[in-house]
Amino acid sequence: MATLIEAEAASGGADITPRPQNRRNVRETIVRYRWLLFLMLPGITYFALFRFWPMYGAQIAWRDYIPFLGIQGSEWVGWKHFEDFFTNPDFPRLLGNTLILAALSLFIAFPLTIVMALLLNELRLNILKRTVQTLVYVPHFLSWTVVVSLTGLLFAIGNGPLWTWLNDLMGTEINFLADPAWFRPLIVLQDVWKNTGWGTIIFLAALASVDQEQYEAAIIDGAGRWQRVWHITLPSIRSTIIVLLILQTGQILNTGFEQIYLMSNALNRSVADVFDTYVYFVGIQQGSYSYATAVGLAKAIVGVILIFGTNWIAKRFNQTGIF
Amino acid sequence: MTTRKRLRAPLAILTVTGLALTAACTSGGDDGDGDGGGDGGGDALSSLSIMAPYFAAVPPEEDDPIDLALSELTGVDLSVQWVPNTDYGERTNVVLAGDDIPDVMVMGKTPAFVQTAEAGGFWELTDYLNSGDYPNLVSENPEVQEATSVNGHVYGVYRSRDVIRHCIILRADWLANLGLEQPQTTDELFEVARAFTEDDPDGNGQDDTYGFINPAWPGSIGSGSPYDALELWNGAGNVWLEDGGELVPSFTTDEWMEALEYERDLVQNGYTNPDYATMDPATWNEPFLNGQGGIIIDVQSRAPQLVELFREQDPANAESYVALVGQPEGPHGTFAMPTAGYSNFLAIPRSSVETEEQLEQVLQVLNDMNSTEAQILLNNGIEGDNFTVEDDYAVYNEDRQDFTDQVSGAWAQLGTNVAGYNAYSTQPATPYDEELAQLRLDLQAEDLENAVFNPAAALASETYQSSGTQLDTLISDARIQFIAGQIDEAGVQDVIDRWHSQGGDQVIAELNELYSELG
Repeated sequence: MATLIEAEAASGGADITPRPQNRRNVRETIVRYRWLLFLMLPGITYFALFRFWPMYGAQIAWRDYIPFLGIQGSEWVGWKHFEDFFTNPDFPRLLGNTLILAALSLFIAFPLTIVMALLLNELRLNILKRTVQTLVYVPHFLSWTVVVSLTGLLFAIGNGPLWTWLNDLMGTEINFLADPAWFRPLIVLQDVWKNTGWGTIIFLAALASVDQEQYEAAIIDGAGRWQRVWHITLPSIRSTIIVLLILQTGQILNTGFEQIYLMSNALNRSVADVFDTYVYFVGIQQGSYSYATAVGLAKAIVGVILIFGTNWIAKRFNQTGIF
Repeated sequence: MTTRKRLRAPLAILTVTGLALTAACTSGGDDGDGDGGGDGGGDALSSLSIMAPYFAAVPPEEDDPIDLALSELTGVDLSVQWVPNTDYGERTNVVLAGDDIPDVMVMGKTPAFVQTAEAGGFWELTDYLNSGDYPNLVSENPEVQEATSVNGHVYGVYRSRDVIRHCIILRADWLANLGLEQPQTTDELFEVARAFTEDDPDGNGQDDTYGFINPAWPGSIGSGSPYDALELWNGAGNVWLEDGGELVPSFTTDEWMEALEYERDLVQNGYTNPDYATMDPATWNEPFLNGQGGIIIDVQSRAPQLVELFREQDPANAESYVALVGQPEGPHGTFAMPTAGYSNFLAIPRSSVETEEQLEQVLQVLNDMNSTEAQILLNNGIEGDNFTVEDDYAVYNEDRQDFTDQVSGAWAQLGTNVAGYNAYSTQPATPYDEELAQLRLDLQAEDLENAVFNPAAALASETYQSSGTQLDTLISDARIQFIAGQIDEAGVQDVIDRWHSQGGDQVIAELNELYSELG
């Protein structure tokens, strides 16, 4: 413990003197920060083993990989799998389905999280606030399998409670679970139900750090509740919103395999097929590992471009980006 | 001095951790030729490692009584790598990509297997099995052995299963209430479905029943679904059909389309459960038990299962609910749906069994493991320990249930029974169960005569290997969409045209070429 403090003290001193770039100083830096570096070891190991090492295997996207022949032994085929994917007649449909679901999640689920956080923040009775908060977190801990089974029971044609109720209300017999028109609404509904509460945590943390004096000053100036939310609360958490938005955009093509796979069936497949389920069908069920890897890589590259793109736009609008 | 000491400790830790990591990374690659059983180069095997799936709650331990008895019987030290069945497919790929490959693996004819076999990863056994040197491995059903092959090359000793399993299961009490006979033709079956829906078979005065119970089928075409059965009964063939020496996909025939109309009428008239497109197959029994639906097309073994469930619900009348009927006659003839007749096979990787002498030794072990004595060990267990024999039936000792579960849930997976099943059957609990078991055997024998086999079962087309799942799903989705009324006949035709243009034409060409080569 004593050494750790000592090392930190030493590191504090290091910033004062300008350091010429040479080997000796690199060694000195290593010696000086040895404990901090040591603390980083598990993290570095994790990334090296589970993030960087597997990238070696990503080369199978350019090969015709057969497990028995090994990565090096499999034939090199260049861009064949990428070409096959982009020229595939299914490609426009997969892209469309993926983007629509991503857009729905970005424009409906994401703002709802902020609204929910603001509502919770406005609750003045502490015990009520805490109870509600805990209750809305609960669905996050249910697995998609459970959520989808629940949906199946509630909307079961003929005897599901929600089906019966909606059926009486609308007067038409709709098979919610199989009708392609109802697939996306159900997906968004499940997503909102499961994740909105959990998503409020970061916003609530940001809201807690808003300077209370600003509110007091605003009240004295005669600002109403809406005005306070609009002019104080929202601007204060703007940077949090932007950071989360950028991160969310990077995830845009990850539509959540489990949920969609479990919700899809023969009748709604035309709107339910997305990149993730496609990779599963082709890669795992059909054993075309190379092709599936190529699809996965293409998806990851789009994700990276989107993150940089949103970050750049955020900076253009004079907001803080994430890097 | 003190600073120096302080410096060394973390460095030492760093070095040790680093070394450990390097060791962990390379340990997979340094095993040399990777002999799973620890048998060196070209010498005779002293031990034999087998990779197999298990269904039991807990896999058997190394050197459990069955392992010891089998090792003694075969003369080699057997060791089995048990893998949970749910992870099995994935694990085989990992194992094949690694260096520590077992001597014998339970494999299915997946695209990955075919690729590996064609790349020389497994021993071809055709000549060995046909030589007669291994009498217990000579198949009693040559068609089934042919179906396990990849374009005529047999790469494994298949694990035999009943060739006929499909049947119709009906609510016997409903038939009796309505005074209906058991349906013998598909038209009669349709009439029963209508009566079960419209004529109030449970006599409660309410319109709360339907005929067919169909779950959302997890597989696509040719996967033993009720739809596949109805189409085959109508004469559409089994996935592929031979027409004038040419193979054609069964879904391009008029009989297939006709069967689809039959299925659509069942759904559109309400003779089928309304959630047929989304129902979880795991809940298939429930509507039958609850008296909502009355017809199931599935494997025969579901019938005793249902009887057992009725026993829990209504012990007094349990034997009056379930009627088991054989496969019906269709308008174009009598056709019966067979299974593939096998479930995976024991294949021998070349990288662990290197020489022909070793291969012959492994085959000898597999031959011994299919002797009557070994079959009893694998399927029943240890006589006098977990079971005793009465009237040629096995009677299990309830105190040793855990052990029996391991035998039936794990060891039985190593049984091939290609030359016939010679172990003991479980003694039926009641005379009714015995009758039911006998009925199943009679129906199997009757339907076997009319079985329609898939003429392309042994053929592996390259295009089908790489895009078969997608192609098949196109058709099975179109089928459900047609039944649901989402698309009409022209819509189905559009999908079939897409099937042709997205690789189907190549599949047809490749299969026909292979078909004519193999004669």
